[in-house]
Amino acid sequence: MTALTRHRDRWISLGVFLVLALIWQVLSVVYTAEAQPGEPMVAGWQVLFTHTLLSLSDYWPGGWGVPAVSEGAPRSYLAAVLSIVVHSADTIGRLAAGMALGGFAGLLLGLAMSWSRWTRRLVDLPIQFLRTLPLLAMVPLFQLWFGTDYMGEVMFVAYGIGVIVFAGTVNAVRNIPPIYLDNARALGASQTMLYRSVILPAIFPAMRSVILLSLGAGWGAVLGAEYLGAQSGLGYIIVYAQQFAFLDRMFLVALLFILYTSVSYWGISRLSARMLAWAPPAQRQ
Amino acid sequence: MSPPVDRRMIELANVQRTFKRGDGTTVQAISDVSLTVPEGEFVCMIGTSGCGKSTLLSMVAGLLEPSDGSIVVDGREIDGPGRERGMVFQKDSVFPWMRVIDNVEYGLKCRGVPASERRAIARTYLQRVGLAHVETAWPRELSGGMLKRVAIATVFANGGKVLMLDEPFGALDYVTRHQLQDVLLDLWDETGGKAARRTILFVTHDVDEALSLADRILVFGTGRLVDDLRVDAPRPRDTDSLLQPDMVAIKHRLLGHLGLERPTGRAVARGTAA
Repeated sequence: MTALTRHRDRWISLGVFLVLALIWQVLSVVYTAEAQPGEPMVAGWQVLFTHTLLSLSDYWPGGWGVPAVSEGAPRSYLAAVLSIVVHSADTIGRLAAGMALGGFAGLLLGLAMSWSRWTRRLVDLPIQFLRTLPLLAMVPLFQLWFGTDYMGEVMFVAYGIGVIVFAGTVNAVRNIPPIYLDNARALGASQTMLYRSVILPAIFPAMRSVILLSLGAGWGAVLGAEYLGAQSGLGYIIVYAQQFAFLDRMFLVALLFILYTSVSYWGISRLSARMLAWAPPAQRQ
Repeated sequence: MSPPVDRRMIELANVQRTFKRGDGTTVQAISDVSLTVPEGEFVCMIGTSGCGKSTLLSMVAGLLEPSDGSIVVDGREIDGPGRERGMVFQKDSVFPWMRVIDNVEYGLKCRGVPASERRAIARTYLQRVGLAHVETAWPRELSGGMLKRVAIATVFANGGKVLMLDEPFGALDYVTRHQLQDVLLDLWDETGGKAARRTILFVTHDVDEALSLADRILVFGTGRLVDDLRVDAPRPRDTDSLLQPDMVAIKHRLLGHLGLERPTGRAVARGTAA
Protein backbone atom coordinates (compact mmCIF):
# COMPACT_ATOMS: atom_id res chain seq x y z
CA MET A 1 0.00 0.00 0.00
CA THR A 2 2.64 2.50 1.06
CA ALA A 3 4.95 1.34 -1.72
CA LEU A 4 2.14 1.83 -4.17
CA THR A 5 1.35 5.29 -2.78
CA ARG A 6 5.00 6.27 -2.98
CA HIS A 7 5.08 5.03 -6.56
CA ARG A 8 2.08 7.16 -7.42
CA ASP A 9 3.61 10.16 -5.63
CA ARG A 10 6.60 9.88 -7.90
CA TRP A 11 4.44 9.95 -11.00
CA ILE A 12 2.67 13.04 -9.68
CA SER A 13 6.01 14.78 -9.05
CA LEU A 14 7.20 13.92 -12.53
CA GLY A 15 3.94 15.25 -13.96
CA VAL A 16 4.32 18.55 -12.10
CA PHE A 17 7.87 18.81 -13.38
CA LEU A 18 6.80 18.28 -16.99
CA VAL A 19 3.97 20.80 -16.68
CA LEU A 20 6.38 23.44 -15.35
CA ALA A 21 8.75 22.76 -18.27
CA LEU A 22 5.85 23.05 -20.67
CA ILE A 23 4.70 26.36 -19.17
CA TRP A 24 8.21 27.70 -19.63
CA GLN A 25 8.20 26.63 -23.27
CA VAL A 26 4.80 28.24 -23.90
CA LEU A 27 6.03 31.40 -22.21
CA SER A 28 9.08 31.51 -24.50
CA VAL A 29 6.80 31.36 -27.55
CA VAL A 30 4.28 33.91 -26.30
CA TYR A 31 6.69 36.38 -24.76
CA THR A 32 9.28 37.14 -27.40
CA ALA A 33 10.88 40.30 -25.98
CA GLU A 34 14.66 40.41 -26.25
CA ALA A 35 17.17 41.88 -23.84
CA GLN A 36 19.39 42.62 -26.82
CA PRO A 37 19.25 41.40 -30.39
CA GLY A 38 19.44 37.60 -30.40
CA GLU A 39 19.03 37.34 -26.61
CA PRO A 40 15.44 36.44 -25.68
CA MET A 41 14.27 37.27 -22.14
CA VAL A 42 12.73 33.81 -21.95
CA ALA A 43 14.74 31.22 -23.84
CA GLY A 44 12.93 28.08 -24.94
CA TRP A 45 14.35 24.60 -24.35
CA GLN A 46 15.42 24.26 -27.99
CA VAL A 47 17.67 27.30 -27.46
CA LEU A 48 18.89 26.38 -23.99
CA PHE A 49 20.15 22.94 -24.94
CA THR A 50 21.81 24.01 -28.19
CA HIS A 51 22.96 27.59 -28.47
CA THR A 52 23.15 28.31 -24.72
CA LEU A 53 24.84 25.08 -23.77
CA LEU A 54 27.34 25.53 -26.56
CA SER A 55 28.05 29.09 -25.43
CA LEU A 56 29.18 27.82 -22.03
CA SER A 57 32.33 26.59 -23.76
CA ASP A 58 33.40 30.25 -23.64
CA TYR A 59 34.21 29.64 -19.95
CA TRP A 60 36.46 26.68 -20.64
CA PRO A 61 39.99 27.77 -19.69
CA GLY A 62 41.61 25.18 -21.94
CA GLY A 63 43.62 22.05 -21.21
CA TRP A 64 43.19 18.27 -21.41
CA GLY A 65 43.60 18.52 -25.21
CA VAL A 66 40.51 20.67 -25.59
CA PRO A 67 41.48 24.19 -26.65
CA ALA A 68 39.77 27.23 -25.16
CA VAL A 69 37.51 29.51 -27.20
CA SER A 70 39.58 32.49 -26.06
CA GLU A 71 42.54 30.91 -27.84
CA GLY A 72 40.60 30.99 -31.11
CA ALA A 73 39.13 27.48 -31.04
CA PRO A 74 35.50 27.04 -32.16
CA ARG A 75 32.81 26.36 -29.52
CA SER A 76 32.17 22.69 -28.88
CA TYR A 77 29.85 20.63 -26.70
CA LEU A 78 32.85 18.89 -25.19
CA ALA A 79 34.32 22.19 -24.05
CA ALA A 80 30.90 23.24 -22.77
CA VAL A 81 30.48 20.12 -20.67
CA LEU A 82 34.05 20.36 -19.38
CA SER A 83 33.41 23.96 -18.54
CA ILE A 84 30.31 23.05 -16.53
CA VAL A 85 32.22 20.30 -14.74
CA VAL A 86 35.20 22.49 -13.87
CA HIS A 87 33.22 25.49 -12.68
CA SER A 88 30.77 23.31 -10.75
CA ALA A 89 33.67 21.51 -9.11
CA ASP A 90 35.12 24.87 -8.03
CA THR A 91 31.86 26.01 -6.49
CA ILE A 92 31.08 22.68 -4.85
CA GLY A 93 34.65 22.37 -3.59
CA ARG A 94 34.46 25.79 -1.95
CA LEU A 95 31.07 24.96 -0.50
CA ALA A 96 32.21 21.60 0.86
CA ALA A 97 35.42 22.95 2.37
CA GLY A 98 33.60 25.93 3.87
CA MET A 99 30.82 23.79 5.29
CA ALA A 100 33.23 21.29 6.78
CA LEU A 101 35.32 24.01 8.35
CA GLY A 102 32.38 26.11 9.55
CA GLY A 103 30.36 23.13 10.70
CA PHE A 104 33.24 21.74 12.71
CA ALA A 105 34.13 25.08 14.28
CA GLY A 106 30.48 25.91 15.00
CA LEU A 107 29.91 22.53 16.62
CA LEU A 108 33.06 22.77 18.72
CA LEU A 109 32.32 26.30 19.88
CA GLY A 110 28.69 25.39 20.53
CA LEU A 111 29.76 22.48 22.71
CA ALA A 112 32.25 24.75 24.49
CA MET A 113 29.29 26.82 25.67
CA SER A 114 28.21 23.98 27.94
CA TRP A 115 31.59 22.40 28.70
CA SER A 116 32.53 24.61 31.63
CA ARG A 117 31.97 28.08 32.99
CA TRP A 118 35.39 29.07 31.68
CA THR A 119 34.88 27.97 28.10
CA ARG A 120 31.44 29.54 28.15
CA ARG A 121 32.85 32.91 29.16
CA LEU A 122 35.58 32.56 26.60
CA VAL A 123 33.28 31.81 23.68
CA ASP A 124 30.05 33.59 24.46
CA LEU A 125 30.87 37.26 23.95
CA PRO A 126 33.02 37.03 20.79
CA ILE A 127 30.48 34.79 19.09
CA GLN A 128 27.53 36.98 20.01
CA PHE A 129 29.50 39.82 18.49
CA LEU A 130 30.25 37.91 15.28
CA ARG A 131 26.64 36.83 14.96
CA THR A 132 25.37 40.37 14.70
CA LEU A 133 27.55 41.18 11.68
CA PRO A 134 25.56 41.01 8.43
CA LEU A 135 27.02 38.21 6.33
CA LEU A 136 27.08 39.95 2.96
CA ALA A 137 28.72 43.06 4.39
CA MET A 138 31.72 40.90 5.14
CA VAL A 139 32.36 39.61 1.60
CA PRO A 140 34.79 42.35 0.48
CA LEU A 141 36.67 42.12 3.75
CA PHE A 142 37.02 38.36 3.49
CA GLN A 143 38.26 38.63 -0.07
CA LEU A 144 40.89 41.15 0.86
CA TRP A 145 41.96 39.07 3.81
CA PHE A 146 41.91 35.64 2.22
CA GLY A 147 42.06 36.32 -1.53
CA THR A 148 39.43 35.98 -4.25
CA ASP A 149 40.46 32.65 -5.63
CA TYR A 150 39.74 30.00 -3.06
CA MET A 151 40.37 30.78 0.60
CA GLY A 152 38.24 33.94 0.52
CA GLU A 153 35.14 32.03 -0.55
CA VAL A 154 35.86 29.09 1.73
CA MET A 155 36.33 31.30 4.78
CA PHE A 156 33.23 33.25 3.92
CA VAL A 157 31.09 30.11 3.66
CA ALA A 158 32.69 28.76 6.84
CA TYR A 159 31.78 31.95 8.66
CA GLY A 160 28.17 31.89 7.44
CA ILE A 161 27.74 28.21 8.29
CA GLY A 162 29.65 28.38 11.56
CA VAL A 163 27.31 30.95 13.02
CA ILE A 164 24.24 28.87 12.18
CA VAL A 165 25.73 25.62 13.42
CA PHE A 166 26.91 27.31 16.61
CA ALA A 167 23.44 28.60 17.43
CA GLY A 168 21.90 25.24 16.52
CA THR A 169 24.34 23.33 18.70
CA VAL A 170 23.82 25.56 21.74
CA ASN A 171 20.08 25.18 21.38
CA ALA A 172 20.22 21.42 20.82
CA VAL A 173 22.44 20.85 23.86
CA ARG A 174 20.07 22.90 25.95
CA ASN A 175 17.17 20.69 24.88
CA ILE A 176 18.72 17.35 25.82
CA PRO A 177 16.45 15.67 28.38
CA PRO A 178 18.37 15.99 31.69
CA ILE A 179 17.56 12.38 32.54
CA TYR A 180 20.17 11.14 30.04
CA LEU A 181 22.86 13.34 31.53
CA ASP A 182 21.93 12.29 35.07
CA ASN A 183 21.90 8.64 34.08
CA ALA A 184 25.30 8.85 32.40
CA ARG A 185 26.79 10.67 35.38
CA ALA A 186 25.26 8.21 37.83
CA LEU A 187 26.81 5.37 35.80
CA GLY A 188 30.22 6.99 36.15
CA ALA A 189 30.72 8.80 32.83
CA SER A 190 33.56 11.30 32.73
CA GLN A 191 33.06 14.67 31.08
CA THR A 192 34.69 13.52 27.84
CA MET A 193 32.67 10.32 27.84
CA LEU A 194 29.50 12.32 28.48
CA TYR A 195 30.12 14.50 25.44
CA ARG A 196 31.12 11.67 23.17
CA SER A 197 28.53 9.08 24.08
CA VAL A 198 25.57 11.12 25.27
CA ILE A 199 25.60 14.75 24.16
CA LEU A 200 26.75 14.22 20.56
CA PRO A 201 24.27 11.46 19.76
CA ALA A 202 21.49 13.19 21.68
CA ILE A 203 21.79 16.41 19.67
CA PHE A 204 22.03 14.63 16.34
CA PRO A 205 18.31 14.66 15.47
CA ALA A 206 18.19 18.40 16.11
CA MET A 207 21.50 18.96 14.30
CA ARG A 208 20.14 17.23 11.26
CA SER A 209 17.72 20.06 10.56
CA VAL A 210 20.44 22.56 11.40
CA ILE A 211 22.68 20.94 8.79
CA LEU A 212 19.95 21.01 6.15
CA LEU A 213 19.23 24.64 7.01
CA SER A 214 22.89 25.60 6.83
CA LEU A 215 23.24 23.79 3.51
CA GLY A 216 20.80 26.29 2.01
CA ALA A 217 22.69 29.15 3.60
CA GLY A 218 25.94 27.61 2.34
CA TRP A 219 24.79 27.59 -1.28
CA GLY A 220 23.73 31.19 -0.84
CA ALA A 221 27.02 32.17 0.74
CA VAL A 222 29.26 30.50 -1.83
CA LEU A 223 27.33 32.16 -4.67
CA GLY A 224 27.42 35.51 -2.93
CA ALA A 225 31.16 35.22 -2.53
CA GLU A 226 31.62 34.24 -6.18
CA TYR A 227 29.50 37.14 -7.42
CA LEU A 228 31.87 39.52 -5.77
CA GLY A 229 35.19 38.75 -7.28
CA ALA A 230 35.87 35.06 -7.92
CA GLN A 231 37.54 34.12 -11.22
CA SER A 232 35.81 30.77 -11.53
CA GLY A 233 32.75 28.92 -10.36
CA LEU A 234 29.08 29.05 -11.22
CA GLY A 235 28.61 32.40 -9.49
CA TYR A 236 31.34 33.82 -11.70
CA ILE A 237 29.55 32.57 -14.83
CA ILE A 238 26.32 34.22 -13.71
CA VAL A 239 27.97 37.58 -13.04
CA TYR A 240 29.89 37.43 -16.33
CA ALA A 241 26.68 36.56 -18.19
CA GLN A 242 24.84 39.39 -16.50
CA GLN A 243 27.31 41.94 -17.80
CA PHE A 244 26.42 41.00 -21.38
CA ALA A 245 22.74 40.33 -20.66
CA PHE A 246 23.09 36.63 -21.55
CA LEU A 247 19.82 35.73 -19.85
CA ASP A 248 19.77 32.21 -21.30
CA ARG A 249 23.14 31.36 -19.75
CA MET A 250 22.05 32.69 -16.40
CA PHE A 251 18.91 30.57 -16.60
CA LEU A 252 20.86 27.45 -17.53
CA VAL A 253 23.21 27.94 -14.58
CA ALA A 254 20.20 28.50 -12.33
CA LEU A 255 18.86 25.12 -13.51
CA LEU A 256 22.19 23.55 -12.61
CA PHE A 257 21.81 25.05 -9.16
CA ILE A 258 18.38 23.54 -8.72
CA LEU A 259 19.90 20.19 -9.65
CA TYR A 260 22.86 20.50 -7.26
CA THR A 261 20.91 21.77 -4.27
CA SER A 262 18.28 19.05 -4.72
CA VAL A 263 20.93 16.36 -4.92
CA SER A 264 22.81 17.71 -1.91
CA TYR A 265 19.61 17.93 0.19
CA TRP A 266 18.60 14.46 -0.84
CA GLY A 267 22.06 13.05 -0.13
CA ILE A 268 22.41 14.59 3.30
CA SER A 269 18.93 13.68 4.37
CA ARG A 270 19.42 10.09 3.20
CA LEU A 271 22.76 9.81 4.97
CA SER A 272 21.52 11.30 8.23
CA ALA A 273 18.35 9.19 8.14
CA ARG A 274 20.57 6.14 8.05
CA MET A 275 22.58 7.43 11.01
CA LEU A 276 19.32 7.96 12.89
CA ALA A 277 18.25 4.32 12.71
CA TRP A 278 17.77 4.43 16.48
CA ALA A 279 15.35 7.35 16.47
CA PRO A 280 11.58 7.12 16.20
CA PRO A 281 10.43 7.44 12.56
CA ALA A 282 9.11 10.99 13.03
CA GLN A 283 12.64 12.23 13.71
CA ARG A 284 13.99 10.58 10.59
CA GLN A 285 11.71 12.26 8.07
CA MET B 1 16.32 -9.12 61.37
CA SER B 2 19.65 -7.40 60.90
CA PRO B 3 21.89 -7.80 63.89
CA PRO B 4 23.64 -4.62 65.13
CA VAL B 5 27.06 -5.95 64.04
CA ASP B 6 26.09 -5.23 60.42
CA ARG B 7 28.34 -2.84 58.60
CA ARG B 8 26.93 0.62 58.07
CA MET B 9 26.54 1.27 54.38
CA ILE B 10 24.78 4.62 54.27
CA GLU B 11 25.01 7.26 56.97
CA LEU B 12 23.19 10.54 56.73
CA ALA B 13 23.94 13.14 59.38
CA ASN B 14 21.80 16.27 59.67
CA VAL B 15 21.26 16.48 55.93
CA GLN B 16 19.48 19.59 54.73
CA ARG B 17 18.57 20.89 51.33
CA THR B 18 17.00 24.18 50.36
CA PHE B 19 15.92 25.34 46.93
CA LYS B 20 15.56 28.87 45.68
CA ARG B 21 12.31 29.50 43.91
CA GLY B 22 11.99 31.78 40.91
CA ASP B 23 10.44 34.52 43.04
CA GLY B 24 13.40 34.52 45.41
CA THR B 25 11.82 32.63 48.30
CA THR B 26 13.62 29.59 49.61
CA VAL B 27 11.99 26.23 50.09
CA GLN B 28 13.23 23.73 52.61
CA ALA B 29 13.00 20.43 50.72
CA ILE B 30 14.87 18.39 53.32
CA SER B 31 15.31 19.56 56.89
CA ASP B 32 17.66 17.77 59.20
CA VAL B 33 17.49 14.12 58.21
CA SER B 34 19.78 11.65 59.97
CA LEU B 35 19.68 7.92 59.42
CA THR B 36 21.84 4.86 59.07
CA VAL B 37 21.31 1.94 56.71
CA PRO B 38 23.26 -1.28 57.26
CA GLU B 39 24.71 -3.22 54.36
CA GLY B 40 22.30 -5.41 52.45
CA GLU B 41 19.13 -3.81 53.73
CA PHE B 42 16.18 -3.19 51.44
CA VAL B 43 14.79 0.18 52.45
CA CYS B 44 11.63 1.65 51.04
CA MET B 45 11.03 5.35 51.32
CA ILE B 46 7.43 6.45 51.27
CA GLY B 47 5.64 9.74 51.66
CA THR B 48 3.22 12.07 49.98
CA SER B 49 4.27 13.76 46.78
CA GLY B 50 6.63 16.68 47.39
CA CYS B 51 7.80 15.40 50.77
CA GLY B 52 11.43 15.41 49.68
CA LYS B 53 12.14 11.71 49.28
CA SER B 54 13.28 12.01 45.68
CA THR B 55 15.47 14.96 46.63
CA LEU B 56 17.08 12.88 49.35
CA LEU B 57 17.68 10.07 46.89
CA SER B 58 19.29 12.40 44.36
CA MET B 59 21.61 13.63 47.09
CA VAL B 60 22.69 10.11 48.02
CA ALA B 61 23.20 9.46 44.30
CA GLY B 62 25.43 12.52 44.19
CA LEU B 63 23.38 14.32 41.56
CA LEU B 64 22.39 17.02 44.06
CA GLU B 65 24.53 18.53 46.78
CA PRO B 66 23.14 18.84 50.28
CA SER B 67 22.94 22.40 51.59
CA ASP B 68 24.20 21.15 54.92
CA GLY B 69 25.09 17.89 56.66
CA SER B 70 27.08 14.91 55.47
CA ILE B 71 26.37 11.77 53.49
CA VAL B 72 28.74 8.86 53.98
CA VAL B 73 28.48 5.78 51.79
CA ASP B 74 30.60 2.72 52.45
CA GLY B 75 32.76 4.68 54.89
CA ARG B 76 33.51 7.55 52.55
CA GLU B 77 31.90 10.94 52.35
CA ILE B 78 30.43 11.26 48.89
CA ASP B 79 31.43 13.85 46.36
CA GLY B 80 29.31 13.61 43.22
CA PRO B 81 28.16 10.35 41.65
CA GLY B 82 30.27 7.26 42.20
CA ARG B 83 30.50 3.76 40.85
CA GLU B 84 29.59 2.24 44.23
CA ARG B 85 26.14 3.76 43.81
CA GLY B 86 23.64 3.11 41.02
CA MET B 87 20.39 4.85 40.22
CA VAL B 88 17.22 3.78 38.44
CA PHE B 89 15.07 6.74 37.53
CA GLN B 90 11.35 7.21 37.36
CA LYS B 91 11.45 8.31 33.75
CA ASP B 92 12.99 6.28 30.97
CA SER B 93 16.72 6.76 31.20
CA VAL B 94 17.82 4.14 28.66
CA PHE B 95 19.84 5.84 25.91
CA PRO B 96 17.80 5.54 22.71
CA TRP B 97 20.91 5.79 20.50
CA MET B 98 22.55 2.67 21.91
CA ARG B 99 21.41 -0.87 21.41
CA VAL B 100 20.12 -2.66 24.48
CA ILE B 101 23.36 -4.49 25.24
CA ASP B 102 25.44 -1.32 24.81
CA ASN B 103 23.19 0.39 27.32
CA VAL B 104 23.76 -2.36 29.87
CA GLU B 105 27.50 -2.16 29.25
CA TYR B 106 27.66 1.61 29.54
CA GLY B 107 28.72 1.90 33.18
CA LEU B 108 31.37 -0.78 32.70
CA LYS B 109 32.64 1.00 29.62
CA CYS B 110 32.95 4.22 31.61
CA ARG B 111 35.14 2.32 34.07
CA GLY B 112 37.35 0.94 31.32
CA VAL B 113 36.37 -2.72 31.65
CA PRO B 114 37.67 -4.58 28.54
CA ALA B 115 35.09 -5.10 25.78
CA SER B 116 34.79 -8.88 25.96
CA GLU B 117 34.54 -8.90 29.74
CA ARG B 118 31.87 -6.23 29.88
CA ARG B 119 29.87 -7.93 27.16
CA ALA B 120 29.85 -11.12 29.19
CA ILE B 121 28.70 -9.28 32.32
CA ALA B 122 26.01 -7.43 30.38
CA ARG B 123 24.78 -10.69 28.85
CA THR B 124 24.49 -12.27 32.28
CA TYR B 125 22.33 -9.49 33.63
CA LEU B 126 20.22 -9.18 30.50
CA GLN B 127 19.50 -12.86 30.86
CA ARG B 128 18.60 -12.45 34.51
CA VAL B 129 16.06 -9.74 33.75
CA GLY B 130 14.67 -11.92 30.95
CA LEU B 131 15.81 -9.83 28.01
CA ALA B 132 18.45 -12.04 26.39
CA HIS B 133 16.38 -12.14 23.21
CA VAL B 134 16.43 -8.36 22.57
CA GLU B 135 20.16 -7.85 23.07
CA THR B 136 20.68 -6.03 19.77
CA ALA B 137 17.33 -4.24 19.61
CA TRP B 138 16.97 -0.47 19.71
CA PRO B 139 15.29 0.83 22.87
CA ARG B 140 12.44 2.32 20.81
CA GLU B 141 11.41 -1.22 19.93
CA LEU B 142 10.89 -2.10 23.61
CA SER B 143 7.88 -1.65 25.87
CA GLY B 144 7.95 0.51 29.01
CA GLY B 145 8.36 -2.53 31.24
CA MET B 146 11.23 -3.87 29.14
CA LEU B 147 12.98 -0.50 29.29
CA LYS B 148 12.78 -0.65 33.08
CA ARG B 149 14.34 -4.10 32.96
CA VAL B 150 17.18 -2.69 30.87
CA ALA B 151 17.70 0.13 33.38
CA ILE B 152 17.78 -2.35 36.27
CA ALA B 153 20.16 -4.66 34.43
CA THR B 154 22.39 -1.65 33.74
CA VAL B 155 22.79 -0.62 37.37
CA PHE B 156 23.24 -4.19 38.57
CA ALA B 157 25.83 -4.86 35.86
CA ASN B 158 27.71 -1.78 36.98
CA GLY B 159 28.25 -3.52 40.30
CA GLY B 160 27.29 -0.76 42.74
CA LYS B 161 26.95 -1.71 46.39
CA VAL B 162 24.13 0.77 46.88
CA LEU B 163 21.24 0.91 44.47
CA MET B 164 18.73 3.69 44.45
CA LEU B 165 15.41 3.43 42.67
CA ASP B 166 13.22 6.49 42.37
CA GLU B 167 9.62 5.35 41.88
CA PRO B 168 10.90 3.01 39.18
CA PHE B 169 7.62 1.18 38.58
CA GLY B 170 5.27 4.11 39.10
CA ALA B 171 4.27 4.44 35.47
CA LEU B 172 3.80 0.72 34.79
CA ASP B 173 0.66 -1.38 34.73
CA TYR B 174 -0.26 -3.67 37.60
CA VAL B 175 0.98 -6.93 36.11
CA THR B 176 4.26 -5.50 34.81
CA ARG B 177 4.90 -3.81 38.15
CA HIS B 178 4.58 -7.09 40.02
CA GLN B 179 6.79 -8.92 37.52
CA LEU B 180 9.44 -6.28 37.93
CA GLN B 181 9.27 -6.40 41.72
CA ASP B 182 10.09 -10.10 41.44
CA VAL B 183 12.94 -9.38 39.02
CA LEU B 184 14.35 -6.83 41.43
CA LEU B 185 14.11 -9.13 44.44
CA ASP B 186 15.75 -11.95 42.48
CA LEU B 187 18.67 -9.76 41.57
CA TRP B 188 18.92 -8.38 45.10
CA ASP B 189 19.10 -11.91 46.48
CA GLU B 190 22.05 -12.69 44.16
CA THR B 191 23.72 -16.03 44.45
CA GLY B 192 25.73 -15.45 47.58
CA GLY B 193 22.69 -15.13 49.85
CA LYS B 194 22.39 -12.43 52.45
CA ALA B 195 26.06 -11.58 52.59
CA ALA B 196 26.15 -10.61 48.91
CA ARG B 197 23.02 -8.50 49.03
CA ARG B 198 23.27 -4.94 47.90
CA THR B 199 21.82 -2.10 49.86
CA ILE B 200 18.71 -0.72 48.23
CA LEU B 201 16.92 2.57 48.66
CA PHE B 202 13.58 2.37 46.92
CA VAL B 203 11.29 5.38 46.71
CA THR B 204 7.64 4.55 46.16
CA HIS B 205 4.12 5.90 46.53
CA ASP B 206 2.63 2.46 46.72
CA VAL B 207 2.06 1.14 50.25
CA ASP B 208 1.63 -2.48 49.13
CA GLU B 209 4.79 -2.27 47.07
CA ALA B 210 6.72 -1.07 50.10
CA LEU B 211 5.26 -3.84 52.24
CA SER B 212 6.12 -6.61 49.82
CA LEU B 213 9.66 -5.41 49.13
CA ALA B 214 11.11 -3.76 52.21
CA ASP B 215 13.08 -4.84 55.27
CA ARG B 216 12.44 -1.38 56.55
CA ILE B 217 10.14 1.46 55.59
CA LEU B 218 11.07 5.09 56.10
CA VAL B 219 8.17 7.51 56.09
CA PHE B 220 8.80 11.10 55.04
CA GLY B 221 6.63 14.14 55.51
CA THR B 222 7.47 17.72 54.51
CA GLY B 223 11.20 17.16 54.41
CA ARG B 224 11.48 15.20 57.62
CA LEU B 225 11.79 11.55 58.54
CA VAL B 226 8.57 10.94 60.44
CA ASP B 227 8.62 7.19 60.97
CA ASP B 228 10.98 4.24 60.68
CA LEU B 229 9.28 0.85 60.55
CA ARG B 230 10.72 -2.64 60.39
CA VAL B 231 9.03 -5.23 58.20
CA ASP B 232 10.00 -8.61 59.54
CA ALA B 233 7.71 -10.81 57.45
CA PRO B 234 9.60 -13.74 55.92
CA ARG B 235 10.47 -13.83 52.23
CA PRO B 236 9.33 -14.58 49.62
CA ARG B 237 6.21 -12.63 50.42
CA ASP B 238 2.96 -13.45 48.68
CA THR B 239 -0.59 -12.18 48.79
CA ASP B 240 -1.16 -13.91 52.12
CA SER B 241 1.90 -12.29 53.73
CA LEU B 242 0.31 -8.91 53.17
CA LEU B 243 -2.75 -10.11 55.09
CA GLN B 244 -0.85 -11.10 58.23
CA PRO B 245 -1.93 -9.05 61.26
CA ASP B 246 1.40 -7.32 61.76
CA MET B 247 1.56 -6.40 58.06
CA VAL B 248 -1.97 -5.03 58.19
CA ALA B 249 -0.98 -3.03 61.26
CA ILE B 250 1.96 -1.50 59.43
CA LYS B 251 -0.26 -0.76 56.49
CA HIS B 252 -2.71 1.09 58.71
CA ARG B 253 0.08 3.08 60.20
CA LEU B 254 1.45 3.99 56.74
CA LEU B 255 -1.97 4.98 55.48
CA GLY B 256 -2.32 7.15 58.58
CA HIS B 257 0.95 8.91 57.78
CA LEU B 258 -0.14 9.47 54.22
CA GLY B 259 -3.35 11.05 55.46
CA LEU B 260 -5.53 8.33 53.98
CA GLU B 261 -6.84 7.09 57.32
CA ARG B 262 -7.71 9.12 60.37
CA PRO B 263 -5.44 8.08 63.21
CA THR B 264 -8.31 6.96 65.44
CA GLY B 265 -9.94 3.73 66.59
CA ARG B 266 -8.76 0.33 65.44
CA ALA B 267 -6.13 1.56 63.07
CA VAL B 268 -4.22 3.34 65.79
CA ALA B 269 -4.67 0.50 68.28
CA ARG B 270 -3.12 -1.91 65.77
CA GLY B 271 -0.48 0.53 64.71
CA THR B 272 0.81 1.04 68.22
CA ALA B 273 0.66 -2.69 68.80
CA ALA B 274 3.07 -3.24 65.94
